[in-house]
Amino acid sequence: MQYPKALEDLISEFMKYPGVGRKTAERYAMFSVIDLKNESINDFSQALISAKEKIRPCNICHHLTDKETCDICSDGTRDNSKIMVLETTKDVFSIEKSGTYRGLYHVLNGALSPLNGIGPNELNLVSLWKRLEKDDVKEVILATSATQEGEATAQYIKRVLREVEVLVTRIGYGVPVGSNLEYADDQTLNKAIENRRVF
Amino acid sequence: MEFGQGIHFIIGSNGEGKTNFLESIYVLALAKSYKTSDLVLIRHQEDFAKVEATVLSQSRLFDLSMIISASGKNAIINKTSQKKLSDYIGHLQIVSFLPEDMNIIKGSPRERRYFFDVYMGQMDKNYISNLGNYKYVLKQRNELLKKMNQPNKEDDLLLDVITEQLAEAARPVVEHRKKFIQEINLFLEKQYHLFSSKNEYYRIQYLPSIETEIEKVMKSKYRTDKMSYTTNFGPHRDDYDFYLNDVMAKDYASGGEQRTLILTLDMALAEMMKDRLKEYPVILLDDVFSELDYEKQNKLIQYLSKIQAQAIITTTSLHELNQDALNNVKVFHVSKGHIQEEKQHGKSSKV
Ligand SMILES: [Zn+2]
Repeated sequence: MQYPKALEDLISEFMKYPGVGRKTAERYAMFSVIDLKNESINDFSQALISAKEKIRPCNICHHLTDKETCDICSDGTRDNSKIMVLETTKDVFSIEKSGTYRGLYHVLNGALSPLNGIGPNELNLVSLWKRLEKDDVKEVILATSATQEGEATAQYIKRVLREVEVLVTRIGYGVPVGSNLEYADDQTLNKAIENRRVF
Repeated sequence: MEFGQGIHFIIGSNGEGKTNFLESIYVLALAKSYKTSDLVLIRHQEDFAKVEATVLSQSRLFDLSMIISASGKNAIINKTSQKKLSDYIGHLQIVSFLPEDMNIIKGSPRERRYFFDVYMGQMDKNYISNLGNYKYVLKQRNELLKKMNQPNKEDDLLLDVITEQLAEAARPVVEHRKKFIQEINLFLEKQYHLFSSKNEYYRIQYLPSIETEIEKVMKSKYRTDKMSYTTNFGPHRDDYDFYLNDVMAKDYASGGEQRTLILTLDMALAEMMKDRLKEYPVILLDDVFSELDYEKQNKLIQYLSKIQAQAIITTTSLHELNQDALNNVKVFHVSKGHIQEEKQHGKSSKV
C-alpha cells in the first residue's frame, strides 16, 4: 500500500533528520497530520523558518546565535583570558551545561581529516589566530575530541601557536570521559577541564 | 554437527562443498573469508550467509555467529553484536593450512603480512586494534598526499602532524612483529623434525620497512611520498623471509619443501597458541594429504593424535592414506553441500 503523495512527501522530509529511519518518519508524519492542531503545525513551521533565518555563527567564536555576536562573547563577566577550542557548537552547550567554565570559546566546525575532505582551510582557524593577536588571551584550552582527527587538530593548533605567546593546554581525557564530549556527564567534564595539562 | 577432540576427516569429491565447510569455520574464527571478497560466501540468489557454532574456549561456552551480507558483516557473541573486530576475534582460535598458503613463501609481501597478522591478532587483541589504528592513520596520510598538489604551508604542517601520528601508531606494530617472529622461531626450532629426519632447519626473518627512529625516517621521505602521492615506508611495507638451512626458501625451496615448511610453521603456531592461551587452536587442514608421502602423512597424523587438538581435515578419499594412521579418527562425508558422520571407522573407533 502506498501513502498519499502529500503524506509520503512529509515522511521523506522527516527522514532527512539524523537518526530518523523510515518507521520513525512515518510515526512523526502520522502524528503531525492526526494529532497536531493546525495552530501547532503553524507554530512548528514558523519555528523552523525563523530558526533557519535567524540562527547563524557568532562573528567572533562561531557558536550558533541569533545575534551578530553571541551571548557568551558579549557577556562582560566572562573570563576573556581563556579560549576553549571545540569541534562543534554542540560541544559548547555540553560545557556550558556542566557549569563551571567561565572563559570564552572558539568553535572550529569540525576536525582535520583528509578522508572527510577537511583540511586547515575548512576549519575556523584563521579567525582563531586573529583573536589571539588582539585579545588579551593568556590560555588556549584545546578540547577537541580524543579521536585521531581531534588529536591531529590539537597538534596542528599547538604547532601554529608555538610562535605566539600564549599558554596552550589540552583537557584531560581519561577513561571515563571517553573520546567524545557529547557523551560525558557534567562531573566528568568538569574534571576533564580541571585536569587540563600543558600541551 | 558436533566435533569433539581429535582428528576429523571430511571426505568428498571436489565441488561437493568440503572446502566450504572448512571455510565456514575460518570465517567464524576470523570474521572474514580467506577469499578476496566475503560476498563469495553468499549462495546464489540469497541475500546473506550465516555461520553459527557453539565453541568451548578457556572452559567457557560461547555462541558465535557471523552474518555476511552485501551491506556488511555482523559478528555476534552470545546474541550480542560486537562493534569492534578486536572484541570478536580470539573466541575461536584456529590454525589453518589452505591451498592458498602455498603462495606464502614465493608470493607477494602482502600475503606474508596477512598470514602473520592473522596469528598475531588471534593471540593478542591489542595487536588488532594497534594495526587497525595504524591503517586508519595511513589512510588519512595517503589521502592528504593525494590532495597536496600545490605547495602550501598549511598542508605541510598537517603532513608533519599526521606523520608523527603515523610513526606513533607504527611503533607498537613493528615491536609486536619483531617479538612475535623471535618467539615463533623458538617454537619452529622444536618442530624441525616433525616431517624430516634430516638435519634440516627453518627460520623466519622479519624485514621491517623501518625498524628504528620511525618518525625521523618517515620525515626524511617526504619528497618520495609527495611525488608518488602515497606513503612508501612503514609497517604496511614490511616483509618476512623464510630460510631453509640458511638459504632463502623463496629462491631455492621446491614445492614439496615449501609445503613441509609451511605445515611445520603451522604446527609451531599451534604450539605457540597452546603456550600463550593454554589450549590448542582448532587445526584446519584443507586437502593437505594428497601432496604428502606416506611417511609424512603418518608423521602429521601421529603428531595431531599426540597433541589431542581438535583437527578438521578435508580430503577426497582415505584410500591413499596410510591406513595404520587412521585409528581413532572420525569420518564425515560431504555430498552436494550436506555432511554426514560415518558411524564406525577404522579398527578401533571410539563411539
Ligand atoms: Zn561568540
